[in-house]
Amino acid sequence: MSKGKWINLTFAMIVLNGLMGLSCRKESNPADSTGQDPNVTSMASIEVTARLTEIPEGAIFKRELYNYATVLKYDVLKVHRGQVAAETIYVGHYNPFKPRSEAADKQVPGIGGTLTSFRSGQIHRMAMEVPIDDYFMGGIIHKYFGKFDGPVYWAVWTNEVTK
Amino acid sequence: MFDTTMISLKSKRRATAFASFILFIAVLSEGKIYAAAVSVGEDISVRLLSEEVHNKGWIVFCARSDKGDWDLFLCRPDGNASHNITRTPESSEAAPQFSRDGRRLLFRRLPREEQIDGNRYGTQGALVMANSDGTGAEVFGENGEYPWASWSPDGKQIACLSIKGVSFVDIASRQVIRRQDRKGFFQQLTWSPDSQWLCGVANSFGTGWSVARMNALTGQTHAVSLVNCCTPDWFDDGRHLIFSNRPLGQKANDGYGWTQLWMADAEGTRRELIYAEEGRHAYGGHVSPDDKYVIFTGNMQENGDTGNVGTPMGLMRLADMPIVGGSDGEARSMYPDAKSGPVLKLPVGWEPCWTFVEIEIDAGAARPAKGSDRNERR
Repeated sequence: MSKGKWINLTFAMIVLNGLMGLSCRKESNPADSTGQDPNVTSMASIEVTARLTEIPEGAIFKRELYNYATVLKYDVLKVHRGQVAAETIYVGHYNPFKPRSEAADKQVPGIGGTLTSFRSGQIHRMAMEVPIDDYFMGGIIHKYFGKFDGPVYWAVWTNEVTK
Repeated sequence: MFDTTMISLKSKRRATAFASFILFIAVLSEGKIYAAAVSVGEDISVRLLSEEVHNKGWIVFCARSDKGDWDLFLCRPDGNASHNITRTPESSEAAPQFSRDGRRLLFRRLPREEQIDGNRYGTQGALVMANSDGTGAEVFGENGEYPWASWSPDGKQIACLSIKGVSFVDIASRQVIRRQDRKGFFQQLTWSPDSQWLCGVANSFGTGWSVARMNALTGQTHAVSLVNCCTPDWFDDGRHLIFSNRPLGQKANDGYGWTQLWMADAEGTRRELIYAEEGRHAYGGHVSPDDKYVIFTGNMQENGDTGNVGTPMGLMRLADMPIVGGSDGEARSMYPDAKSGPVLKLPVGWEPCWTFVEIEIDAGAARPAKGSDRNERR
């Protein structure tokens, strides 16, 4: 093969790889440091940036055979889309012991995010729906049961904010 | 009609003979007497239980077939006369329920390659209805439709549980007659024999898995047992429930504990242990139509090991409760006065259901006995 043809082939491969990168699923695009990505800004009906205030004892545990959601408490820092009921909100996360990118399954498809593990004090950018009962049917670990009025939100996409 | 009285007398004579033999041996040999006597005694009590339940109708359960899929099987309550009543290598069947009159079955049929999921088996595949012998199977809906279907006492309706709520469906017309809010109920719905209540697992009482009941007309709910509970079912009296419960504070199983079988009155004011075993989770408790016996499944795997072949089922008398099975352990320490048996070991299976209705089993096909009009108590 001539030198010119090698150059053309190499150029074609570069272009092809670039096109493949553009056509990859949304899930593979990393969020920026503000937690923004195409998923969190478009999925569900509510989008917030909020600080995870605490993780109550027993709220997150590994359980392979039976799925569950856990309710976590957040202080809202910014509302990007939709409305929330208060400055403090309670959000249900599915199988929180898993990285968000691995949480979706046959029982709960279509959720995800860049967050790999939950830690108190983290800031999360979340796309959410409300109330949780309209979107999730399963065991719910709710350490705040009976301690507040208002809805429990359902986390659809959860990205970690690093900046 | 099979004469259970004669069987009982013969069994007692055999038991007496065995006991006499043991006593004779005891006179001749000292050291190993006690262990041998206990072992023989246990074998005799299990045998007596087996003979006691042998002709009390049929148990239906799902299990791995020799083709590798899950099929439905009928067996006598003593575990004998097991027959495959679906034989569908291209699909799996699970979660069978007899209608209260014992003449009909409902179950889920799912693709063979799909694993039965302990979280959502009542929603997997399609709902199928058939005669109690498995004949006349008819697919009732599409995949995922009529989730967690449970027979009405008269067999003319099913109650279903979905994320949208509880729906009551007329079987003949397939029309939804009524709906009501699910109020946190999310799995294992069962309609009570007196038609007044539904029971199920709920998340609306402050814990992840509570067993609760819901009034079938008003939708009013009450918790029966709050923590780590599931697989509830009704006693035939409609005033008690059986359910699985994994008590908190256990140290065994790396601090996770083992799930046990419990019962409670429908108000949840009195809870009692039925069965516990060190090294085994007990689930899927189902009470006989006369409220005298319990069948259950259990395994080292919390979901009954549906990813493999399932687990041996067990049968015990409620009059013998509580029973702590297996070797000594935490459960035995917690319930030192509990009996150790008898527990009849049944075939490997999952989620059994029991009818007293006689079903004629022919080679190649089972069919319901002619003239069996009701689920008679024996």
